[in-house]
Amino acid sequence: MAVIGVLTAGGDCPGLNAVIRGVTARALHRGDSEVVGILHGWEGLMEGETRPLDRNAVRGILGRGGTILGTSRKDPYVHGDGYASVSRTIKANDLDVVVVIGGDGTLKTALRLADEGFPVVGVPKTIDNDIAATDFTFGFDTAVQIATDAIDRLTTTAESHNRVILVEVMGRTKGWIATYAGIAGGADAILIPEVPVPLEEVATILRRRHRHGHGYSIVVVAEGIEPPVKTRRPKDLFGFERLGGVAYQIAPLLEQLTGFETRVTVLGHLQRGGTPTAFDRVLATRLGVAAADLAAEGKVRTMVALRGSKIVDVTLDEGCAEVRGVDRELYAVARSFFG
Amino acid sequence: MKIGILTGGGDVPGLNPCIKAVVLRAAEQGHEVIGIRHGWGGLLDANPDDPRSMTENLVPLSPATVRTIDRSGGTVLHTSRTNPGRVGAQGVPAFLTGRAVGEGPFDFTPHVLRLLESQGIEVVIPIGGDDTLSYALRLHDEGVKVIAIPKTMDNDVHGTDYCIGFSTAVTRGVQFIHNLRTSSGSHERIAVVELFGRYSGETCLVTGYLAAVDRAVISEVPVDIQRLADLLMADKAANPSNYAMLAISEGAVIEGGEMVLSGEEDAYGHRKLGGVGARAGELIREITGQGIILQQVAYLMRSGSPDSLDLMVAINYAAMAADLAIEGRSGRMVALRGGTYTNVPISVTREGVKRVDVDELYDALEYRPKVRHVGGKPMFLY
Repeated sequence: MAVIGVLTAGGDCPGLNAVIRGVTARALHRGDSEVVGILHGWEGLMEGETRPLDRNAVRGILGRGGTILGTSRKDPYVHGDGYASVSRTIKANDLDVVVVIGGDGTLKTALRLADEGFPVVGVPKTIDNDIAATDFTFGFDTAVQIATDAIDRLTTTAESHNRVILVEVMGRTKGWIATYAGIAGGADAILIPEVPVPLEEVATILRRRHRHGHGYSIVVVAEGIEPPVKTRRPKDLFGFERLGGVAYQIAPLLEQLTGFETRVTVLGHLQRGGTPTAFDRVLATRLGVAAADLAAEGKVRTMVALRGSKIVDVTLDEGCAEVRGVDRELYAVARSFFG
Repeated sequence: MKIGILTGGGDVPGLNPCIKAVVLRAAEQGHEVIGIRHGWGGLLDANPDDPRSMTENLVPLSPATVRTIDRSGGTVLHTSRTNPGRVGAQGVPAFLTGRAVGEGPFDFTPHVLRLLESQGIEVVIPIGGDDTLSYALRLHDEGVKVIAIPKTMDNDVHGTDYCIGFSTAVTRGVQFIHNLRTSSGSHERIAVVELFGRYSGETCLVTGYLAAVDRAVISEVPVDIQRLADLLMADKAANPSNYAMLAISEGAVIEGGEMVLSGEEDAYGHRKLGGVGARAGELIREITGQGIILQQVAYLMRSGSPDSLDLMVAINYAAMAADLAIEGRSGRMVALRGGTYTNVPISVTREGVKRVDVDELYDALEYRPKVRHVGGKPMFLY
């Protein structure tokens, strides 16, 4: 009987519960495994906070936001001495393998632990969709849907007031959410970190549009674009810069260049809470099921991923490769609609 | 009869259904409706000697042209904060510069009166908040027939229990607060959600009440930030998910400070609010050492489609306003009083200021909504 631990670490992401449910239901369905939930991310693995997960424990959670296991920003290398600080919980619970559901930072921690002998199967988690080894991450579709809904609503407001509205979306250093939501919402310009566009060019696009009789515009701004004024941003535990608010810097500059009244809406955390879309539920479920299979079969130091339409497994090392930006073909599609 | 209709001030959900309902009600009784574009701005910018400016600013509306408008948010007539009685030098249309002597602001009401007369517009139905309606009152005093429809997402027009847009704004606020809960819990932070509402805290109070936030800071009660931070720390500790949720009105004031305003005064003497959430969040971070999730709901509160209550009120206000206009009444504002549709003099809007009844609805020590008695209050408590 394999004992599979499962933990969620780092930020919230719609679909976390669907993964937990997928892992648990599959492991129990196989009949050769049982599942232990580790509470509060790495903190629970360090402190020994666990609870057994049976089929009932994961009923009714598929569509719920958040994570029933809780999460935290604790890290065994920042707040402990690496593998030694988690091995006690692993032994006490007879864990054969731990399914770690986390983003870039969490997976890198997992890889470092794996070097010390930690048996891990990774599930990539980020709304930013920038993990290199997978075509899509769960949570991304929900974030894009929320941003698209917001753009739809703000379009009528922008039109009513004859204004330019800058909609700032998340995505950290990459412009996936901005590009997808921009295409889906029919944005008049999309600013992403991968393709710097001078503000003068944005102004030209907007002026051209307004000259053709459209008195309003929607510009989607990825939070990670280079700010016009260089500022030092605070960093979090993993050394990631805290982003957000760059649209407030751009708005007055753009207003000055175009003469059009310009307002800002920062979607912020509204994009990562709430109920996952059907696509994210299905993807998260498939990833959870695949992770349970890898775990039960003892294929550790791996990560589940989506390639094309198939769920595959890759090495955790591949999963931790440099994050992936928006491909130029996709951005070119968006660009055809600028102005 | 020719009825003019316009939307002024910020857009709210329900404007298009309201416009449509006025047009249908008037058409049923054989009357015409002219849409005036960009709020009162359309009456300032329309130049009878320039046909193009006339078609740009005055648009005939028929049941056929308004058939589908109620399916989208915003306003098909567009809006502005233009006040023809107080036009800054930059807002003077080219054809009126000859009449703008001095530095301004200028009063172009004579132009508006001539325009309405020349176009045969006998009555104007403005849909707007306090500022838009203040010019409606001016026109009424000048002898123009005016029937007003109150709309603001802040529900702060004096004289009516309800303004179009409020219910949807609260619905959105509640929904966004609940969506932020999983993130706030996952990160174990204190969430600070800044809500629109201008100088009135009612949007924040009612949203906070319905979303069951830990604390709600309203414009009417200056907040002792140390005390608030202590309360939030206790809330966070008591929450099994280890987070706390604070709603704060954009017009809130931190004790010892002032309202956070930006930009220039507009034609009604108002400046933009917003930013107090960031300031409060920064102070709470300093005091508590906790991470803060700051979220301005901002325009998302009032953009998009109306909920069923705003549809209901928008359509009924429209029918009532069209009927009053056709009856030849003037200087009236359609309203809800004590749960009943009625109408009141527009001048009532100037006779008081609608603000939260702090003693009845709010606990100023605990910084949270507290409804002392429900019986006898209107549906939205105020």
